[in-house]
Amino acid sequence: MSSLGSVESGRMGRVAYARIAPNEDLVLGVEKLCLAQGFRHAFVRGGLGSLVDACLMTADDRFLQVSGPAVEVVSVAGEVRPTADGCLRAALTGVVSDTDGRVHGGPFVPGSNPVCITFEVTLEEWLPDAA
Amino acid sequence: MTTLIVPRMPRPRCLVHPGLAGVVRIRSCVAAASRHFRLHLEPGRNLQDAIVQPLSELGVTCACMTVLGGAFSSMSFCVAPPDPTGERAAAYSSPIDAGRALLIFGNATMGTDTHGRLMLHCHGVLRNQAGQTRGGHIVAHGSIVASGGVTVLATVLDGVELRITPDDETRMPVFLPFLSESLHV
Repeated sequence: MSSLGSVESGRMGRVAYARIAPNEDLVLGVEKLCLAQGFRHAFVRGGLGSLVDACLMTADDRFLQVSGPAVEVVSVAGEVRPTADGCLRAALTGVVSDTDGRVHGGPFVPGSNPVCITFEVTLEEWLPDAA
Repeated sequence: MTTLIVPRMPRPRCLVHPGLAGVVRIRSCVAAASRHFRLHLEPGRNLQDAIVQPLSELGVTCACMTVLGGAFSSMSFCVAPPDPTGERAAAYSSPIDAGRALLIFGNATMGTDTHGRLMLHCHGVLRNQAGQTRGGHIVAHGSIVASGGVTVLATVLDGVELRITPDDETRMPVFLPFLSESLHV
């Protein structure tokens, strides 16, 4: 039997823009932005900036470390959702370029992607319909 | 530059910048709602003008954008290695010529510079004339839209201003958000 997955209906709410300062973690920074603006669910609408070093999860659950500074983030996508214990969790994937311009992609590892100069991120609040 | 695959999560480095770290680490502003515009950029214009001018005519001064794939008759980009002067932790390299290039995708923000002029900050992934995939800070003034144009989705944050502001910590100019009302305080 095939599965059709799940569908969550809802609508878009507010839009937040933030500058995340140096040495703050990209993933935790996005979560803290949601705390600051009272978002419980959000989608990343855009993001660009630089990291001291980048750390991306590999397909076999190891860690790809791209050394900077600075590693440029050229694309980021993802969402923030509450977890069963009431915390917020951001899941972000993206593409980075190293100091030679070579590109690398994957999920950003929470806690291991410190911002170098600045990170600009735009989040759009997601307001799911009541279940 | 090095890339390593390691079995354990690496300890993040805490980089020392020339200035003291500011108190506010995440500065944010929120817009009650957003408006969206689809732009199809005019061939022959540079990326900066091709985005800024139509948005300016719409009265837009603050937007974040997704730049969809498209061809450029010429493109240049920068990377950000350590500042050779040691004055800052990192600095943009000289522009790297990508030649005739395909922008695979990009992200951009538009705000105002210290003179109040609209300006663009764009990062992207591209395929250069040699067929290599590269990425970095796109030099918007130096990248010319090719025939066929380039499509951009702009999300406008009404009531928010993005202003280039000198950052004491990094000694680099960065976009900071401000509520528009603060312009009149």
